[in-house]
Amino acid sequence: MEIVEALFFSTLRQAAPLLLTALGGLFSERSGVVNIALEGMILFGAAAAAITVNRIEVATGGLEAFWIPWVGLLVGAAVGGLVGLVHAIASIKYRADQIVSGTAINIAALGAPSIVLQVLYNNTSASQEVQNRLPSISIQLGSFDGKFSIIVLLAFLLVPVIWWVLFKTPWGLRLRAVGEHPQAAETMGVNVIRMRYTAVILSGVLAGIAGAYLSIGFLNQFIRAMSAGAGFIALAALIFGKWHPLGVLGATLLFGFAQALAIQLQGGDILPATIVQAIPFVLTMLVLAGFIGRSRPPAAVGKPYDK
Amino acid sequence: MGRYLFLTLGVITLVLMVFSPWAVPMREFDGTGYLLNPLGAMNPKGLNLPEGLSFGWLGIFFVLWLLLLLAASIAMFLPSPEIRARALYILGGIGVGLFALEAYLFYQAIAAVNDAALAAGARRPPLRRFALSLGAYVGLFYALALLLAARMQLPGGLAFLVRLRGVVVPLVSLLLAVVAGAGVVAILRPGLGTQGVEGLGLRELIAGKLDLVTYTFQILFSPVLTLPGLFNSLAFATPLIFTGLAVAFGFRSGLFNIGAPGQLTMGALMAMLAGVYLPLPSWLLLPTAIMAAALGGALWGGIVGWLKARFGANEVINTIMMNYIAASVLLFMLAANEYRFFGNKVVLPFKAEGFEGRSQEMQPGARIPTMIDILAPGGVFSWALPLAVVAALVTYYALRRRELGKRLLAASGAMVGGFVLGGLLPGVPVTISSALASQLLNGSFLIAILVLLFYNFYLFRTAGGYELRATGLAPRAAEYAGVNLRRKMILAMVISGSLAGLAATHYVLGAGMDGTYRLKTAIPSSVGFDGIAVALMGQNMPLGIFLSATLFGVLLAGGVLLNAQLGISNQIIQVLQALIILFIAVGGFLPRYFTDPLRAAQVETEAKAEQEARQAKSSPAAGV
Repeated sequence: MEIVEALFFSTLRQAAPLLLTALGGLFSERSGVVNIALEGMILFGAAAAAITVNRIEVATGGLEAFWIPWVGLLVGAAVGGLVGLVHAIASIKYRADQIVSGTAINIAALGAPSIVLQVLYNNTSASQEVQNRLPSISIQLGSFDGKFSIIVLLAFLLVPVIWWVLFKTPWGLRLRAVGEHPQAAETMGVNVIRMRYTAVILSGVLAGIAGAYLSIGFLNQFIRAMSAGAGFIALAALIFGKWHPLGVLGATLLFGFAQALAIQLQGGDILPATIVQAIPFVLTMLVLAGFIGRSRPPAAVGKPYDK
Repeated sequence: MGRYLFLTLGVITLVLMVFSPWAVPMREFDGTGYLLNPLGAMNPKGLNLPEGLSFGWLGIFFVLWLLLLLAASIAMFLPSPEIRARALYILGGIGVGLFALEAYLFYQAIAAVNDAALAAGARRPPLRRFALSLGAYVGLFYALALLLAARMQLPGGLAFLVRLRGVVVPLVSLLLAVVAGAGVVAILRPGLGTQGVEGLGLRELIAGKLDLVTYTFQILFSPVLTLPGLFNSLAFATPLIFTGLAVAFGFRSGLFNIGAPGQLTMGALMAMLAGVYLPLPSWLLLPTAIMAAALGGALWGGIVGWLKARFGANEVINTIMMNYIAASVLLFMLAANEYRFFGNKVVLPFKAEGFEGRSQEMQPGARIPTMIDILAPGGVFSWALPLAVVAALVTYYALRRRELGKRLLAASGAMVGGFVLGGLLPGVPVTISSALASQLLNGSFLIAILVLLFYNFYLFRTAGGYELRATGLAPRAAEYAGVNLRRKMILAMVISGSLAGLAATHYVLGAGMDGTYRLKTAIPSSVGFDGIAVALMGQNMPLGIFLSATLFGVLLAGGVLLNAQLGISNQIIQVLQALIILFIAVGGFLPRYFTDPLRAAQVETEAKAEQEARQAKSSPAAGV
């Protein structure tokens, strides 16, 4: 039954970026800001992390040290947060249509890295490969030796933490209140604007970490559009998971499993690879149509806040 | 506050005039140039100007501009608004005149030297890639700002701007995007001609950067200057018109269609299937293939519309998912011939021989000819198309009293008549340069224009279109008035999808991709995303969409040149588009009465009231 174990670890690896991104989106949407820009934030984070690590390697002459990938991760997270700030300023301060603003970021994420890549590597589609990747953990499961990046562990550990923050702390209560009824929250003395800024930036940071995982954890380079819809699938997981951390965990595991299955089926003669690749997307649509359970979004999501 | 903003503008203008090149009489292919500035030319790579070229008059102009800046700054503080406005109008007029004179003197001097050299037997003109540059342009912009400021001094100035908000917001956003894009380029690339040169002063370095960004945008906009360039731009613009209309149609009906890439892909697939395999007579084949393109897009959009109407599923994420699924379907059809399903071998006939993923060639009857072949078949200019356009327009405007349906029907009849008649008239032989003949602009452009007209008449002149727009503006109110929202939702997505699908006529039936009449897996379906920028920039208006699609077409054509000359990735266009979308989304950072119709109406009402009060005061006899 080696295939079952391989599928298990593959599911964890595939689910991790979705989970991180969806947990980020959870903050944003619970505060009332639709964040369709998650896809772009992943890409910006991935590009920043890979380029940072590569630049450090070039500057130090190919040094291999434990701190280098962590700096890359930090920069990826920071850039993700910065993109989150842009989305926050547009949609909170200037009351932009949140979906339009998010789309702008997604389109920028397809073009902007290419310009930097062209300057650095004379190549618009991929960065140079990095030597220093985020460390992996090995786990013995029966006879099978499973390996996954430490970020995968982090992603799953974040689920209870975020559950606790959202549902057991005053801050979490305020955040949820801001997303359900901002006027009421404001009356109770909650700073709606600041809550929303924090939440959107946080979602950018988490998406940036997911991106860094893709470029310097899962792979060893940045590739144009490498997120391949992960941000959008994470959004669907958010809806499917009813905007709840545990629900999101379940949803991302399902999507992760679909992707892992797709990888396992590739190259075999059960189904053609091109068909298999579409499975997670079809699954997302089925989920959204409510064939697998209905959910209710935060009441104030998508609406700019006016005092 | 306005005054100090204006003073700041003056200071920025002055700084740019001091540091940036005013004109570049010659430039190498890699962009290194001889930079003219009134305070002394900058020439980091040591280019040699030919004898007899003198730009001493630049100094005089610099003094004149200084005086103008000073006078305008003082004029801003004149007490009476009427006198202030008059002074600013005059100064602005002088500024525009100064710029025109600069342009005349500069191009005159260049032409004189080049003509003399050519007359003396030179193989190529000695001065190439010459142009005015930033220092001269900022003068023009400042003069235009003066004219605008003058209008703002008069009563109703703000209301005047607010009334034009459909133009103001996109233009301000475009300007901001250009500035931000210039910043990106300036940060990422060294100044032109300054790389590897030792001992350059700060002034040269700044001038080099300013020259770099100016030249970047000069290249980006350069396709408008030549006829082949214009054709190339329109070829890039054609699919953008379709996808821009698709996105705009969604916006008008209250839906955000990000699925244009997928709808385009499915349209392309259906058009390919019809064009390659349908055994139809040629007069029927092309219309069928075009309908198939629309049908493919309509199907892909309609599914999303149905899911939203039936299950309330969010159309934004669903259209994005459909993009990925369409990409998979396209690859499945064209990337290989043989597949294995559960161990069974399945053979598909669609992929043509060869390494590349591409379909078989279209039947001759399913091909849309290039625009050159329509305008001048066989090198003879044909009157068919011009006469058709003129006949349709004349008929449409002559029948102003009749109802719309009859007018449109008569105009279509006149168009066909004009086309046939024009084809019979003797043509004029013309010579077509090889650069022009190789342009990919094809008859799909005419389909795009027809679709634009459809968008205009359907949305703004029919009851069905009215209901759609009402649904978009206020769904509850529309429902109360008896509109079936679910039906409208599906209809809107079907039409929006079919508009995006029609973009395939350019790529597949018109060979707009690379001149081959095939569908390829490399079809640039991302123009579906570009459609979002086109729709927002065009404010969902038919003329606006045409203009913004053309603008992006020019930029895309220019991006190819930019990549070739300066090695800046043409992805810069994508970033510019993203910036424009973002800036329009935030209303160009303008006050809210530019974006909120209610507040805009308030500003206009106040201005009107003020004007009436003034009139009442000036003519007391008209009162009681």
